[in-house]
Amino acid sequence: MTDLSTHMEHGQANLLADLGQMPAQDVTQKGRRLGIGFWLAIAFMVVIVLVAVLAPWLPLKDPEKSYVIAGERPPYSPSWQFWFGTDQLSRDMFSRTIWGARISLTVGFSAIAFGMLVGGSCGMIAGYFRGRFNAIISFVFVVLLSFPALVLAILITSLLDRSLFTISFTIGILSVAPVGMVSRATTISFADREFVLAARSLGARHPRIILRELLPNVVIPMSALALLGVAVAIVAEGGLAFLGLSVQQGITWGKLIQNGAGRSDLEDAPWIAFSPILVLFLTVLSLNFAGDRLRSHFDVKETAL
Amino acid sequence: MLLLVISMLTFGAMNVLGDPLFNILGVTASATDEDSLQKIEAAKEEYNLDDPLPVRYAIWLGGFVQGDFGVQFSEDGQPPVRNLIVERLPRTLSLVILAQLMALAISLPWALWSASRADSKADKVSTVGAFLTISIPNFALAVILSYILSIKLGWFPLVYEADAPFPSRLHAMILPAFTLALPAAAVYQRLLRTDLITTLQEDFILTARAKGVSRRSILFKHALRPSLFSFVTVFGITTGALIGGALVVESIFLIPGLGRAIVEAVLREDFPVVLAIVMIVAAIFVLLNLVIDLIYSLIDPRVRR
Amino acid sequence: MTPSADSAAFGRVNEHLGVSRTHPDEPLLVLDDLKTHFRTDRGLVRAVDGVSLSLRRGESLGVVGESGSGKTVLSRSIMGLLPSTAVTSGSVKFAGQEILGLPDKQMRHLWGAEMSMVFQNPLNSLNPLMKIGKQITEPLKLHLDMDRKNARATAAQLLRDVRIPEAERRLDQYPHELSGGMRQRVMIAIALACGPTILFADEPTTALDVTVQAQILELISEQRRDRNMSVILVTHDLGVVAGHTDQTAVMYGGKLVERAPTKTLFANMKMPYTKALMQSIPKLSDPSHTRLSSIPGRPPDLVHPPAGCRFAPRCAYARDKCHVEEPPLVQADQPDHVYACWFPVGSPEFQERDADLARVGGIPVGIEGAS
Repeated sequence: MTDLSTHMEHGQANLLADLGQMPAQDVTQKGRRLGIGFWLAIAFMVVIVLVAVLAPWLPLKDPEKSYVIAGERPPYSPSWQFWFGTDQLSRDMFSRTIWGARISLTVGFSAIAFGMLVGGSCGMIAGYFRGRFNAIISFVFVVLLSFPALVLAILITSLLDRSLFTISFTIGILSVAPVGMVSRATTISFADREFVLAARSLGARHPRIILRELLPNVVIPMSALALLGVAVAIVAEGGLAFLGLSVQQGITWGKLIQNGAGRSDLEDAPWIAFSPILVLFLTVLSLNFAGDRLRSHFDVKETAL
Repeated sequence: MLLLVISMLTFGAMNVLGDPLFNILGVTASATDEDSLQKIEAAKEEYNLDDPLPVRYAIWLGGFVQGDFGVQFSEDGQPPVRNLIVERLPRTLSLVILAQLMALAISLPWALWSASRADSKADKVSTVGAFLTISIPNFALAVILSYILSIKLGWFPLVYEADAPFPSRLHAMILPAFTLALPAAAVYQRLLRTDLITTLQEDFILTARAKGVSRRSILFKHALRPSLFSFVTVFGITTGALIGGALVVESIFLIPGLGRAIVEAVLREDFPVVLAIVMIVAAIFVLLNLVIDLIYSLIDPRVRR
Repeated sequence: MTPSADSAAFGRVNEHLGVSRTHPDEPLLVLDDLKTHFRTDRGLVRAVDGVSLSLRRGESLGVVGESGSGKTVLSRSIMGLLPSTAVTSGSVKFAGQEILGLPDKQMRHLWGAEMSMVFQNPLNSLNPLMKIGKQITEPLKLHLDMDRKNARATAAQLLRDVRIPEAERRLDQYPHELSGGMRQRVMIAIALACGPTILFADEPTTALDVTVQAQILELISEQRRDRNMSVILVTHDLGVVAGHTDQTAVMYGGKLVERAPTKTLFANMKMPYTKALMQSIPKLSDPSHTRLSSIPGRPPDLVHPPAGCRFAPRCAYARDKCHVEEPPLVQADQPDHVYACWFPVGSPEFQERDADLARVGGIPVGIEGAS
C-alpha cells in the first residue's frame, strides 16, 4: 500500500516501544553504516588527488601545447587521440582538466584547512569559555556571515593580488564563520558532559582539557563538515574563475568551464565546457556524498551517548 | 548595529587597500603637470581626501542615510550611484523572487509526494535526484541548462535584453531564475521531506487518522504546517544565498542587475558603488531575518505572545 | 444537535459496509481469536496472541494489564489503526460485519463515525497549530456533511456536554491554551462528535492529575449512559475499572488471562496475576508509609514467549506444570467468567502456597524465583 500506513510503520516503533519490546529507534536516516557508496566516493577522491599530484609525471599531453591536426580546424571532438577532445586552440582537454585539478583541489583543500584551523579553534574557544569570548567571536561570525560570500570574495581578490595563496586565503576566510559556528555548537554540547567535568575535577587545566578531551570529540563531526566544505570551496573557486576573478596563472576547472561557455562554443563544441563540468561534478558529488554519509554515521553515536 | 560594522569594514578596506585618488581621477592622479595638480587639489577638496579616515566615514554615512550614495567614480560624467541602484536593484530582486517562487512551486509538491511514499523505490530515486542536483555548482548548472533548454531545444533566449518589452523580458528571465531555483528546490525538498516524515509520526496524526480523515487531508491540513519551521528558516537564508548566486547568473545571461554592477565596480575600484551595494544587500539580509521571525509567529500560534 | 446513538446509528454502519440489519440486542462487537503480530528485525512480535471476547451495545469493557501486555495493540487492532507491518488473524465482527483486514479506505467510514478513540496524552494528540473548534468540526463535516454554521454550533454543544466552561470561546483557542484535563475533555468531545457506537479510551487518565482523573472517568461513563454507547477502557490500573466498567478483561503477555463481569472479578478473582494487580493498588486504609508493592520482574519477551503459562516466571504460586503447559481458558462458577490458570485462587494448591509464604513472612504476592 502506498498510502500513509507505509510510514505509520514508523508509528510501529512507537507501539513497540510501548510494549517494551524494542528501544524506540529513529527510523529515518541515522544509524546507517558508512556503506559501499561512501568508500567508492573516498576512492574516487583518492584517485583524483593522486592523478592531480602525479600529473607532471603521467604520460599526458602538454596542456598548453596546441596539437593541430593537419587539414582540420580545431576544436576537435573527443576521440582516441584526445579523450576529452580539444579546445579552440586545440589543446588537449583531458590533460587540461587534470592539470586544472591541481589548482582547484589545492584551493579547495587549503582553504578549508585554513578555515578549520582558524574557525575551528575560535569556535572551540568560544564554546568552551563562553562569556565574553563567546559574545565577541559569535558577533564576528555573524558579521562575516552577513556578507554575501561571493561579494566578499570579489572584494578581497580585487584589492589584493590574484595569486594562488590569496584566492585560497580568501575562500578560507569565508569558511571560517560557518566552520566556527559548527565547532562552537559542537564544543558546547560536549563541554557539559561528564568526562569534561571529570577532567576538570582532577585538576586539569584549560588547554589540556581542550586538547585532550574536547578536540578528539569535536574533530569527528568536523571531519564530515570538512569534506562538505572542500566541495563548497572548490565550487567557490570555480565560481570566481567563471567570473574571471580567480587565479591569474594556471589552469583551474572554473576557467576551463568559462572558456567553453560561450554561445558558439557550446553549440559547436560542447565538450570544451562539459569535460571539466563532468569532472568537477563527480568530485563535488563524491565529497558531498562522503561528507553526508559521515555525518549521519556520527550522528548516531552522539544520540546514543 | 550590524549594518554599521559592515559599512565600516567595507569603507575601511576600500580606502586603505585601494587608492581613492586614483579611482577618482584615473591616470591623472600620478601626473605632475600643472593642470593635473589642479585637478588633484580640486578632487581632494571635494572629497575631503585630506581628512582622516573616520571623518570621511562620518561624512559618507551622513550622506548615505539621507539617500545620497555618492557618485560613480568610474563612469564618464560620474552619475549618481543612486541612479544605478534604482535601475538595477529591481532586476536582481525580480530574478531572486522569481527563483524562489519557482523553487517553492517545485519543492512543495515534490516533498509532499515523496513524504507520503517514504522509502518506496520512487522515493529513493527522487532522493538520489535531489542529491545530485545539489551537487552541481550553479555556474555549471547554468551552462548545462543553457545548453539543453536554449541551444538544443531553443525554448529560451540565451541573453537577456534589457530594452525588450515586458513579456519577452519575463520570458528571458525564466531560464536564469530556473538555474537558481533548481538547487534551492532540491534543498527545500530534502528538508521538508524529512520534517514531514517526522511530523507524520506524531500522535496527533494518529488522532486525525482515527477521525477518518483522508490521507490527502492529513498531509495538507495536519502535517504540513508543523513541518514548516526549519523550512522557513532555510528559505530565508537561501534568499540571501540566491542573491549571491544571482551574481553568477547575471554574468552568464548578461542581465544588467545589481550583481554584475558590483562585480564591475570592484574591478574598477569604484568604491561608492561597492559600498552602496554592499550596504543594500546587507540591509536586505537584516530585513529578511525580521520577515522570517514574522512568518514564524504567523505559522505557530504558540510563539505569538 | 448531537445525534443520539440509536438504531439509526446501526443503519449508518450498514449503509457503508452494505450488510443486512442486525438486531440491536445482538453483541455489537465480537472478537474471535484475534492475533496481531509485528514483523521486526528480531522476529515476530506477538503483541496480541489470541483474544476472544464480546461486547454488547451500551456495555463497557475494561482491558487491564501492565505495559507490554498488548492492551493498547488490542484496542488499535479492533479499530484497525495498525501500521502496515502488522499481521492480523482471527476475526473482529462489528455489528455482524467482519472488519478485520479491511483496507483503510473502507475503514475511514467507520473511524470517527462509528468507532472513535481517545488517546493517552492529550497534549500530543491534539494538533498544536489548529484551533480547537476546527479539530472538532472536522469529523462533523467529513462524516455528517454538516455546513459550517451547524458544525460550529454542534461543536459548542459538544464542549458543553463534556463540561468545558465558556464553550464558544474555547472553539477559537489552541490546545496549549487549555489545561491537561480540559484537553482530554476536548479529545472526548472530538471522539463523540459523530455519535459513535463504540468509544475506545486508551489510558485516558494516565497523563492527568489524580483529581481530574475521576472527573474524566465520570464523564465517560455519563456519556456512555446518555448515548447508549459501548466503551472499551484500556488501562493498567485496576482501580480505574472498578467503578466504571461492566466487564473486565485482564491481559498478560498478549493473552487474555481472565475475563469477568467487573463485580464478579473483584469479588472472586481467579488468576493470581489479577490478585497481584489488585494488591498493588495503594489503599487509603493502609497505614502511612506502607511500601508500595508492585509485581517484581518484567513483562515477557513477546518474540520468544516462555513455554507454559506466560506469567509463570513471576508467579509466586507457580508450580512445575505452569512452566510447561499453557493453561486454557476455562469457565469459573459463573458462565461469563473465564480464566486461564492451573492453580487459581481458591484452589488447594494455591492455599497451600499461601500458607508457605505467610510462614516465611513474605507478602503473598508474586515473589520471583519461588517455585
